[in-house]
Amino acid sequence: MSSESPKPFVGEWLAGEGKDPDLVISSRVRLARNLPGIPFSTLADDSHRKQVADLIGSALEELRPDLQLNSKNLDDLDSIDRQVLVERHLVSRELALGSGPRIVSYDDSEAISLMGNEEDHLRIQVVNSGYCLDEAWQQMDQLERSLDGQLQFAFDQQYGYLTACPTNTGTGLRVSVMLHLPALVITGQIEEVTRAATKIHLAVRGLFGEGTEAQGDFFQISNQRTLGLSEQEILSDIASVLPKILSYERKLREELLESKRDWIEDRIGRSFGILSHAKLITSQEGLEHLSLVRLGVCMGLLGNLTLEQVNRMFLFSQPGHLQANEGRKMSSDERDNKRAEVLAGILQEN
Amino acid sequence: MLCEKCQQNEVAVHLTDIAAGIKKKYQLCKECAAAGGVSIHAQLKKHKKFTLTEFYGASHPESRSDQDPIADPTCSECGMRYSLFRKEGKFGCSHDYQEFRSDLDDLLEKFHASSQHRGRAPGRFRQQVSRQIQLDQLRDELTQAVTNEQFEEAAKIRDQMRLLESHS
Repeated sequence: MSSESPKPFVGEWLAGEGKDPDLVISSRVRLARNLPGIPFSTLADDSHRKQVADLIGSALEELRPDLQLNSKNLDDLDSIDRQVLVERHLVSRELALGSGPRIVSYDDSEAISLMGNEEDHLRIQVVNSGYCLDEAWQQMDQLERSLDGQLQFAFDQQYGYLTACPTNTGTGLRVSVMLHLPALVITGQIEEVTRAATKIHLAVRGLFGEGTEAQGDFFQISNQRTLGLSEQEILSDIASVLPKILSYERKLREELLESKRDWIEDRIGRSFGILSHAKLITSQEGLEHLSLVRLGVCMGLLGNLTLEQVNRMFLFSQPGHLQANEGRKMSSDERDNKRAEVLAGILQEN
Repeated sequence: MLCEKCQQNEVAVHLTDIAAGIKKKYQLCKECAAAGGVSIHAQLKKHKKFTLTEFYGASHPESRSDQDPIADPTCSECGMRYSLFRKEGKFGCSHDYQEFRSDLDDLLEKFHASSQHRGRAPGRFRQQVSRQIQLDQLRDELTQAVTNEQFEEAAKIRDQMRLLESHS
């Protein structure tokens, strides 16, 4: 049985605000840090994990009252509550599925979150709405410096910050932007973007990052290299390619409106109709129609509907949120029914 | 407390050595630890693996390992074998980087096109890392100046480098 309902609002990263919120859903920076003298997750037992959780917990206490965080031990939460945290991007799937003492701490706006005992001892992330990597990094910079005063991080002058996986070694920094690129998908140009990004060592992934497929025209672009580049250089690499992708998507949207207006309006209208009136909607179907409805909002084709509402539909129609709101586990059919109800409910707000 | 190696100076360094599953602690003065450090680097290059046993010679025979350290280096802190690290792709602890150092550069170069960190550093390392970054930059500028036959400029850069090095 779920212990608590998810907050009735979306986190800061889904507010639909900031720069270019029509194309960039959120900007995220993540740092991996470890504590010397304690095995990484591959070899750690529960006593090591407890040691890590206690050290991180004490360090976070020292940051009060400047930074007030809600802290939870994942073992104290049931599977639905853990799924809600994954859907709100506050914890990774790995942390949700792990075992032993694992902690998550996040602020009220859900822009800052810290995971203890993931693959690395500590993972810190800052996520903001729209395209705002520099601002996210500034917040991270301040937070990491405060923690550096409380915790001693494993570091080597040649290799930088020492991480459990060599793909994170060095800065331990993963910078990513979550993009909505329906016009590039519709026109079959997305492959070209993926190829160009890969060529300059950026990874293109799905909604939930590593190991997930792109769904509903949503993509995450992130750096692959973490060593041999400064943090600013990693941020600049993403910043150098992003405007090109955004202007490409915008140009294609304009072309769609000019040359295939009836066709695209029809597709968006059909999706709006399905989300407004269907009785059963699967997760995958919901994402596909939400993507087109989101495109319709950005093209000014759907009246008063806002990006914030679309983002809320997107979050509250996910399986964890549906079940947490009901306070119980639901079968797949029950979820499809509830999902249709939630989506139509938000569309009827206007 | 006196250094257990020279029995003359005060203890300044506490070291832990784990080999063949046996943990030994050593209390050393700065000089003896530094002497060991030099020897550690020399041994690392030579054998890929070094334990304090070699530093102490035969006085701690119980810490001799049965494994072949050249064939498959093993971390003295967590027991992770290099072969297992390569298979799983994950380190066992942060000390593995030290133990597997001689094999890591190629691996990191392959993935990151570099094996030298150029980003931020913890407060306790910040000054050293910033000095190293400045030195690397000056070295590049020196090469450029010499290539362009700007010898006065090159001499100035060389002096700057010497000044920086004298502070390290």
